[in-house]
Amino acid sequence: MTGEAPRILPVEDDPDSAGFFEAARRGELVVRTCAACGAHLHLPVAYCHRCRSFDTRWTAMSGRGRLYSWTVVDHQVHPAYPVPYTVVLVELDDAPGVRLVGSLPGVPELVAGQPMHVRFDTMEEGVVLPQWEPAGTPG
Amino acid sequence: MTDETISHRDRCAIVGIGATDFSRDSGRSDLTLAAQASLAAIEDAGLVPADIDGIVRCDMDLVRSNDLVHTLGLPGLSYFCEAGPGGVAPCAMVGLAVGAILSGQASHVLVFRSLNGRSGRRYGLSPVAQARVGGGGTYDEFFLPYGLLTAGQEFALIAQRHMIEYGTTAEDLGAIALACRARANANPRAQMRDRTLTMEDYLAARTISRPLRLFDFCLETDGACAVVVTTAERARDLPRRPALIRAVAQGSPPSPQPGIMFPVLLRESITTLPGKPTAATLYRRAGLGPEDVDVAQLYDCFTITVLTQLEDYGFCAKGEGGPFASSGSLELGGRLPINTGGGHLSEGYIHGMNHIVEGVRQIRGESSSQVPGAEVCLVTSTALPPGSALILRAA
Repeated sequence: MTGEAPRILPVEDDPDSAGFFEAARRGELVVRTCAACGAHLHLPVAYCHRCRSFDTRWTAMSGRGRLYSWTVVDHQVHPAYPVPYTVVLVELDDAPGVRLVGSLPGVPELVAGQPMHVRFDTMEEGVVLPQWEPAGTPG
Repeated sequence: MTDETISHRDRCAIVGIGATDFSRDSGRSDLTLAAQASLAAIEDAGLVPADIDGIVRCDMDLVRSNDLVHTLGLPGLSYFCEAGPGGVAPCAMVGLAVGAILSGQASHVLVFRSLNGRSGRRYGLSPVAQARVGGGGTYDEFFLPYGLLTAGQEFALIAQRHMIEYGTTAEDLGAIALACRARANANPRAQMRDRTLTMEDYLAARTISRPLRLFDFCLETDGACAVVVTTAERARDLPRRPALIRAVAQGSPPSPQPGIMFPVLLRESITTLPGKPTAATLYRRAGLGPEDVDVAQLYDCFTITVLTQLEDYGFCAKGEGGPFASSGSLELGGRLPINTGGGHLSEGYIHGMNHIVEGVRQIRGESSSQVPGAEVCLVTSTALPPGSALILRAA
């Protein structure tokens, strides 16, 4: 999915989220997790309000999830994202309640709850984004 | 815990309303629009600019309180404040005015919202100009790089989830668009006053972000609205029939998520919006329930926002917003006529503020789609982040 303009890149130096993108560059999907109680802290924050603890760390996920919702975008608002494309919202199998966004080109056949798996998409400047596609899709 | 033994119930009123024309290209600055709406509201209240000693603004307004003091030639303010973010502000702004008045910090408070939302900064366009996005607590880095760029796309994900969970249909959303359009057709101020809409038109319209179509989206608009708030006692000496502020409330869900817009997609439920906690507080403070509401002005940046609020504010059970909307309930003569000026969908998108103005018209008996005998009007400013709402009542 590449248009004429450069795609939008994430910052990779934010203290709370940099680890997510560092891991993606290694081909790993991680979620911030409380070291004491195991709570998943996504969107990532450094503090677990359940344990009242700042002892948190990045934990590797399996990369499997379920399709929670999606939208086919038909009206283009940014030159780097040619329509139609489909934004997916995926809930992680390993971390119920944690949802990550992905995007698929075109208008794929999708069903709520279907298994999805992560793949890693290398963008401009070496940035790697975890992406999602229907499980069983050849990587 | 809040101390509700000190109640604001019916102790303040909206005594003046003002609005500019609503258009796609005002040809005026945000400040000029704000001044015009404010002067109209002050005059409507039977006051003069020098009576205004407090101003409340929206955090996303380009006009600051001191800009308006300067332009209107006010002698000075004893109170100025702001609420937000964005569309969450209007009812909360009235709440700030009530708080200021009842605590003796101001006597006549002007509340305004002004934006060149079509010819100027358009909220419906991708906000991204910089090469890298996110950080600093926005969490945009988890959303925008994937092409999830606008509020419409986010509400499409919410609408799709509502359809998955409850079988909500396109026709259910269409019923909301049609109700607002029919009210706009009767409102000479509405941008869509001359454009009728049928269900066939609605369903045939192009999709923007599926399942949402063109007419599920509000009208980005140039314009401004303002109201004047004072005590109920003072209101009795003023010329217009006061709209008593029965109660006002703000609310946030138990897991609000950080940031402003897209992190909402991480909430436990994305089909229950901040209307639900806001409604609970509002009804308790008002001593009223949904059964007492005669007419409602529901925040409608998109049709799906109205549908979820029908559930959140207790007009139907969770998941039944679609059948409720499709049953004719939202039309004049139905259980809950909504957005009687046409709403954001068909009158104009003044970011929640025109809903308050229209609510006052209903309480005065002056709406272009008047609900006969309307005594209780619900107004909401509850989109995605936290929310606010108020109930207006006839004196």
